[in-house]
Amino acid sequence: MNDTRNILLLVIDAPPYGDWRGREALDMALSLAAFDQPVALMFRGEGVNWLRPGQDGSATDQKTVSRNLGAARMFGLADIYADEDALVRFGIDKTEPGVDAVPANAAFYARFREVIQP
Amino acid sequence: MPDVSTNRKPGYSLVITGAPYISQAPATAFDFCKTLLETGHKVDLVFLYGDGVQLASVLTAPPSDETNWTAQWQALGKEHRITPVACIASALRRGLLNEEEARRYEKPAANLAEGFTIAGLGEWVEAVTRSDRVVYFHGGA
Repeated sequence: MNDTRNILLLVIDAPPYGDWRGREALDMALSLAAFDQPVALMFRGEGVNWLRPGQDGSATDQKTVSRNLGAARMFGLADIYADEDALVRFGIDKTEPGVDAVPANAAFYARFREVIQP
Repeated sequence: MPDVSTNRKPGYSLVITGAPYISQAPATAFDFCKTLLETGHKVDLVFLYGDGVQLASVLTAPPSDETNWTAQWQALGKEHRITPVACIASALRRGLLNEEEARRYEKPAANLAEGFTIAGLGEWVEAVTRSDRVVYFHGGA
């Protein structure tokens, strides 16, 4: 894991297609990145479903969120993390590339400058 | 992160993401904000995000025996010269428009309550970098 002491961590725990909170949390992350604030994302709980490969949002007339995440990387998002226990719980044994599976414990969150759960 | 090692009282920004009458968020944030101001703290920003933008609708019309949280925030803002900011992206998605956006999107009416304004997420980013503390009031979904 990189040095995260200066990084703001945004936590997404909302599922990708049943709730708009995750998309609006991602907008927050993109805005931080656009203003040169180092930012990373943590997916936990139902939010890890954002990372499920092979998604197609068109079935629900929504944008596919993995494309949004790809854009986030282009805008300078530092890292993407996922709660390893939640990945197991939702049966996701393979995520989108570039995601670090980590334990969602106090030691993990304490590494960051600030943790924001929108 | 600003230096809070001096005796200066920390400055706060408040982010409200829960809507009135669906969640307690605007009411709890109101009490928190009022207490901050009464105890001499500085409130840098009140930012409405996600469903929280519903607080800024002039069309809210609760029954007379329920608190009108839009009016409460308007009065608090007027007394302390605070203008709560509704995120423009959240606002447009949820049908909250000021006169300018109503014209831009060719909508028949605007509904942003007096004493509120609409702006981008840059306002929140600035608060994150400027305020000593940023406190979030969620809808608890």
